[in-house]
Amino acid sequence: MFSRRGFIRIGSASVGTLALRRFGLMPALAQSGPDYRALVCVFLFGGNDSNNTIIPLDDAHYKPYLSARAGLAVPTSAMAQVTDVTGAPYGFHVLLTELASLFTNKELAVVANVGSLVQPVTRAQYQGRQAAVPNNLFSHLDQQQQWQTSVGQGNSPTGWAGRVADYVAAQKMNSSSFPTVLSVAGNVLEGIGANTTEIAVNPGGSLALAGFSSSAASQARLNALTNLLNFNSGVSLVQAANQTLSMSMSDAKALAGALSQATALKTQFPKTSLGAQLEQVAQIIQVQSALGMSRQIFFCSLGSFDTHTGELNTLNTLYPQVSQALAAFYDATQELGVAQNVTTFTESDFNRTFQPTSGDGSDHAWGGHHLVLGGAVKGGQIFGQFPTFELGGPDDTDTRGRWIPTTSIDQYGATLCSWFGIPDTALPTVFPNLQNFAAAKLRFLG
Amino acid sequence: MKSAIIFGALASWSLLSAAPDAASGPQVVLSDRAASRLLDQASWGPTPAAIQEVQEKGIAGWLNQQFQLNTSDIPDQLLLDSTGKSNNDVTPVQRAFIQNAVTGADQLRQRVAFALSEIWVVSNVSVRPAYAFPPYWRLFRDNAFGNYRDLMKAVTLNPAMGAYLNLANNNKGVPAKGTAANENYAREMMQLFTVGLTQLNLDGSPALDSSGKAIPTYTQAQVTDMARALTGWTYAAAPNAASKVNNPAYYFGQMIPSETEHDTGSKIIIGNTAVPAGQTAEQDLDFVLNTLMAQPTIAPFVSRQLIQHLVTSNPSSAYIARVAGVFQNNGQGVSGDMMAVITAILTDPEARAADNPNLPPNPGFGHLREPLLFVTNLLRGLNAALTSTSAVYNLGSQLGQNLFAPSSVFSYFSPMYQMENGTPAPEFQIYSTQTAASRANIVNAAIFGTLDKNTKLDYSEFLPFASDTASLLDHIAYVFLHHSMSLELQQAATTAVNAATDAQARVQAALYVVLTSSEYQVIQ
Repeated sequence: MFSRRGFIRIGSASVGTLALRRFGLMPALAQSGPDYRALVCVFLFGGNDSNNTIIPLDDAHYKPYLSARAGLAVPTSAMAQVTDVTGAPYGFHVLLTELASLFTNKELAVVANVGSLVQPVTRAQYQGRQAAVPNNLFSHLDQQQQWQTSVGQGNSPTGWAGRVADYVAAQKMNSSSFPTVLSVAGNVLEGIGANTTEIAVNPGGSLALAGFSSSAASQARLNALTNLLNFNSGVSLVQAANQTLSMSMSDAKALAGALSQATALKTQFPKTSLGAQLEQVAQIIQVQSALGMSRQIFFCSLGSFDTHTGELNTLNTLYPQVSQALAAFYDATQELGVAQNVTTFTESDFNRTFQPTSGDGSDHAWGGHHLVLGGAVKGGQIFGQFPTFELGGPDDTDTRGRWIPTTSIDQYGATLCSWFGIPDTALPTVFPNLQNFAAAKLRFLG
Repeated sequence: MKSAIIFGALASWSLLSAAPDAASGPQVVLSDRAASRLLDQASWGPTPAAIQEVQEKGIAGWLNQQFQLNTSDIPDQLLLDSTGKSNNDVTPVQRAFIQNAVTGADQLRQRVAFALSEIWVVSNVSVRPAYAFPPYWRLFRDNAFGNYRDLMKAVTLNPAMGAYLNLANNNKGVPAKGTAANENYAREMMQLFTVGLTQLNLDGSPALDSSGKAIPTYTQAQVTDMARALTGWTYAAAPNAASKVNNPAYYFGQMIPSETEHDTGSKIIIGNTAVPAGQTAEQDLDFVLNTLMAQPTIAPFVSRQLIQHLVTSNPSSAYIARVAGVFQNNGQGVSGDMMAVITAILTDPEARAADNPNLPPNPGFGHLREPLLFVTNLLRGLNAALTSTSAVYNLGSQLGQNLFAPSSVFSYFSPMYQMENGTPAPEFQIYSTQTAASRANIVNAAIFGTLDKNTKLDYSEFLPFASDTASLLDHIAYVFLHHSMSLELQQAATTAVNAATDAQARVQAALYVVLTSSEYQVIQ
């Protein structure tokens, strides 16, 4: 199950707060405030086959990779080869060449075999049903939600970024009440908190209501619309629709006001969906000070990763989009002087079966490898452990190479959030299962 | 059957239409409210003509007439464009769909067909040729009032679905090559089209085991085996092409068996059901479909979603149970009889309760107009004259509903989507701060600007009422709001109307305030 929270926000958009900030009580319009941090999620919908995103080239992995992946195996000649800081060889998919360069430049790290977990689980425990595992494994919807809520068991009405936003609001870490979570990819559970909710805006889009002038008739009509938004009809869906439009109208003013101060970026973004989304995020980061934001979480996405057949061709169209858009975004954060202040990371439903399907694709699996990018990232390193690439081996749930994760979403998220400024004492509220894992955090940040 | 607006009533929801008199028997003409409510549930939106038609025939008579109609088509599309490349332009398909919705006589069939297509999803995002879509859409049109079991087989063997979820050319696994049958269709047919993830009681509540836990409908091993049972299908051979083991994509006709690629071993599928070894591809497919139809969960799973699409996001368990009971048995021992199911959904006391205006509004009833329903209702209510160049088919894409192109097999929105308090509200998944503003701006364009330069809207029918605010609101309520309007909306709209200067401006102000209101956006 998944849900949205359209109701409660802490405070309402306050023109007063913004005005104070704009007129000098706070540092005026510094492009990168010293205490600005942003997390940028890039969700790869459909389940990215990260077995082909990054491939360990040591014999213990690459030999079984070549045999078990059969028609999906990538030869080293078709890889962007890198070595990590220890000198161990890895290959990025050749169409992730920009990301391979960022890895070499130590701006990008890999976190291996991350997935939804309730607690650590072994193959024997999984097969013997002796340990709690997340609900409905291998289902898109469920595992998307688990990535977004970091709750594997049961039905969480809030997402982990939303719970972070709750903390940010409670601690007044932002000086305005503009939402901490902003999605350029529509409504998303990840950004819904217990007391806060996200704003969704299309890349290049506007939330402004058209058709109003200063004429008395026009203002009367606007008043009529506005008054109705405050009318409690008693019908819950009417209330919910009112609250969404109401929030849209109040945040529209803050966003349009801030963006009017933005200057064009020199960085050229690719003309793709993800490129446009990340360009919009970069523009909003540019005006974070005018918006009154010290902490922001952005949500972007790219779909069509559900590669049951013809996978190699599909990845050949998707991976350049990912690589080029992420690289441009990193360039833009450098241009804005905030590369140290912005961390970008991937999420995806699940990894895919190591064993191919008969149609040169792969089926739904579990633990996968993820990318973390930014000036604060300990780049050029692999965190976590790659599984043993053996079908039916110690890391497989069955015989098709559905890896049992060895790092939980909780640990991955807690590392990101700790850098973001969430103290250890608040992490269990954001990641309720974190206590089930020996190490609360990995070391790819901070 | 219009009656004067009643202003100043004490109740916060005033009654604009004549109340039906419960004691006066069936000869009494249906109220405007009852007729328009049915039309918001069973058509692409009420119009004065449609309201009168329902009133003349009564609910049963109108349904019976609609069950007989099959008048709309989406024409076949060319395979190649003028340059000899694959014709991937689906806009003529989208345009025909909207034209049918706005003007077609077979309104109920279209509504049900669309609801079914939101369950059995094929998306133009990955199936690109335009000619794949008219035959796919006709399956829902032609099976909308047939049997669900027939629809299951028809869609399973439809080549667009075969391409989308990869049943086409899903060859049996070859151990020597290290491959396995593709699990995509097996999994999603169960999860999304027939039974869902957990077993359900007849009333839609989760069936629980002795420790109080939900019971999964199937295991991963059963998905793997069902995938094996569904191997061995390929596209029909194109005309003048020799048929091969794996034919290339061809979207006319049904897929055909390719027995050499069918896994004939025995399998254990959902319900721990053993599929006998040695069957043909079609025998295995029929076995699988019969097994799915025999699962007790399919009736509440499908019934609940159809109720959500047509009537209310959060049906009571009793409502689900009544409809699911009809799905299981139409009274003559037949399960999956869609005509009986649709009748049960639309005539259920819960669907019809608010026909009685004297009852207070049920706070949990109704559903947000999905973008397409908003757009078609707007076009029908404003007497839109669509032409062969109309581009209004594109409006839904601004609101998260690009026709024939949902972002994934999970459709435009999920039946599981919930409000924070756990209330199901599927359409709200695509109602964001962005699309809420965009809806208001579509209303603005329709009323004050140009919605689409090739689609003429006509609100002249409202002009004769312009000089009298109460009459104007009454007529707008008649067309758009089941001839009922809350006092608050009346008051807000009145203020806006009275600030407007001339007749046209008064009509525009009233329409804008009503059509942007959440009271209109949520169908009660």
